[in-house]
Amino acid sequence: MTHLLETSNLTKTFGGVHAVADLSFGVEAGAIQAIIGPNGAGKTTLINLLTGIYTPSAGDVRIDGRDTRGLPPHRLAGLGLSRTFQNLQICMNMSALENVMVGRHLRMNRSFTAALLRLPALRRGDADCRRRAAELMDFVGLGDLTERDADTLSYGALKRLEIARALASEPKLLLLDEPAAGLNANETAAIETLIRRVAELGITVILVEHDMKLVMAISDRILVLDHGKQLAIGTPAEVRADPAVISAYLGAA
Amino acid sequence: MRNWILSGRAGLLLLAVVLALAPLGFGNPYHYDIAIHVLINAIVAVGLNLLVGYAGQVSLGHAGFFGLGAYVTGILSAHYGWHTLLSIPMALVVVAVLAFAVARPILRLSGHYLAMATLGLGILITIVLRTEGWLTGGPDGMIVPPIEILGWQLFGEAYWYALMAALLVLAVWLALNLIDSPVGRALRAVHGSDVAAQVAGVNTTRYKVLIFVVSAVFAALTGALTAHYSGFITPDLGGFMRSIEFVTMVVLGGMASTFGAIVGALVLTLLPQLLTGFDELEMVVFGAVLMAVIIFMPRGLVPSLRTLIGRFLR
Ligand SMILES: Nc1ncnc2c1ncn2[C@@H]1O[C@H](COP(=O)(O)OP(=O)(O)OP(=O)(O)O)[C@@H](O)[C@H]1O
Ligand SMILES: [Mg+2]
Repeated sequence: MTHLLETSNLTKTFGGVHAVADLSFGVEAGAIQAIIGPNGAGKTTLINLLTGIYTPSAGDVRIDGRDTRGLPPHRLAGLGLSRTFQNLQICMNMSALENVMVGRHLRMNRSFTAALLRLPALRRGDADCRRRAAELMDFVGLGDLTERDADTLSYGALKRLEIARALASEPKLLLLDEPAAGLNANETAAIETLIRRVAELGITVILVEHDMKLVMAISDRILVLDHGKQLAIGTPAEVRADPAVISAYLGAA
Repeated sequence: MRNWILSGRAGLLLLAVVLALAPLGFGNPYHYDIAIHVLINAIVAVGLNLLVGYAGQVSLGHAGFFGLGAYVTGILSAHYGWHTLLSIPMALVVVAVLAFAVARPILRLSGHYLAMATLGLGILITIVLRTEGWLTGGPDGMIVPPIEILGWQLFGEAYWYALMAALLVLAVWLALNLIDSPVGRALRAVHGSDVAAQVAGVNTTRYKVLIFVVSAVFAALTGALTAHYSGFITPDLGGFMRSIEFVTMVVLGGMASTFGAIVGALVLTLLPQLLTGFDELEMVVFGAVLMAVIIFMPRGLVPSLRTLIGRFLR
């Protein structure tokens, strides 16, 4: 069993609040790993720790066995991490397609001189990037919105656009923070299909989600958080049967 | 066709044609002089727009870089006998190094704090220009020799107009290229969502520093040329009022619109000339026009007009 990502004793405190407390777990390569827990359980904080937005108060994160301590988000992106946000982080000053193109940043020719002079190699790279971005928009079901400005898209479309942008970097690990939040049943079903197709591409998925039906249906393993601590971890069946989970979380729902 | 008309390439062609034909309407050297000042402001505004309009970072001190560029080449050529073809590049190097040195700490700030810090930087530069009289001539200013190329002095409004017009076309071409490139998209992403840019792999600090330096160099080059064109410089070139004017040009013409920056420069340079008939009311009318534009076209002149034309062409 190879772990793409591992944490040991990962901890983040804000003032006195232990948002994430002493978490040690691993995510298998190729798996869909869900993270669930009530509001304020520390799910988003955990994602922010894994992607370098926050630095741990204690403990560490390893990706492919490499300690990621001190690496800023853009370096972690270079290690194959990509993510979406619970609160949409779309660039409203750009077109929908350009948002996805930004996702390919690390795979582009980033020479400043080539950009200023619009050298032929850069032009070809840009055309290729544009084509791939359009393909990705098609992949997430936004194929007919490529020409639109981002700020004209609906909320549901923007959620997908973020996924397309995150996929554009061709990541090893995709972290989704509540991709189905605020979506209706049809849209949620479409997101479920989309996540399955992403996993089929061989991309490891970490999925934070409140929609239990979705989580139980597609996850290989589930990590249950409560007050920043690990309450349970295992397959959907194991987690569903776990007494601690039933009393603290599922039972209440 | 509609896309082409609304694209930058068509605008660049139109700009070149307008600049080439404009002298047909110039009756006297005074007209040339005004046109040259429009071009000077336009180049600065195009550079500043890369920073403010596209990357979303405020600078209220850009005239400082303009003034410093003017003084470095002025001092080196007037006091130390440097050839102008060396003193002008040196001015760019000095400003680039200064901008690079201050960029990191300054750009770590955002919003009002960034505005305050850049404002302070601009004021600091003018204070130095004003107080180091032994070098700069102090508040009274200093005389700057003309540009000399192989014994031939660049003199006369028509030549200067041609030079500055060519430079503006070049600046616009470079800016349009940059914006529509991976680097440009990264810069715009920094504006749209800094954190999204970071997780997409953009080293946001590096890009902010880069564009800060680039826009400072645009200002420095224009400042240096202005010094040799006018032959006389004062610390007011780098003053607070000039910085505000540059930002107003960008906002009035339309943030994140390269041609907007040019239109903004045109309006803000010409308006005071046209309003001289109003005497004491000049500033009042000037202010009223600016307010009206911002109230009725909050996105600025060019983006609002583009939307109109786009609708018309549909
Ligand atoms: N930047 C921050 N500063 C201070 N406290 C924070 C910060 N971020 C999170 N917290 C606190 O940490 C705890 C965990 O928050 P987090 O956002 O990780 O929860 P969550 O599981 O994502 O909740 P939700 O399901 O509502 O999204 C909360 O008590 C929250 O108030
Ligand atoms: Mg959350």
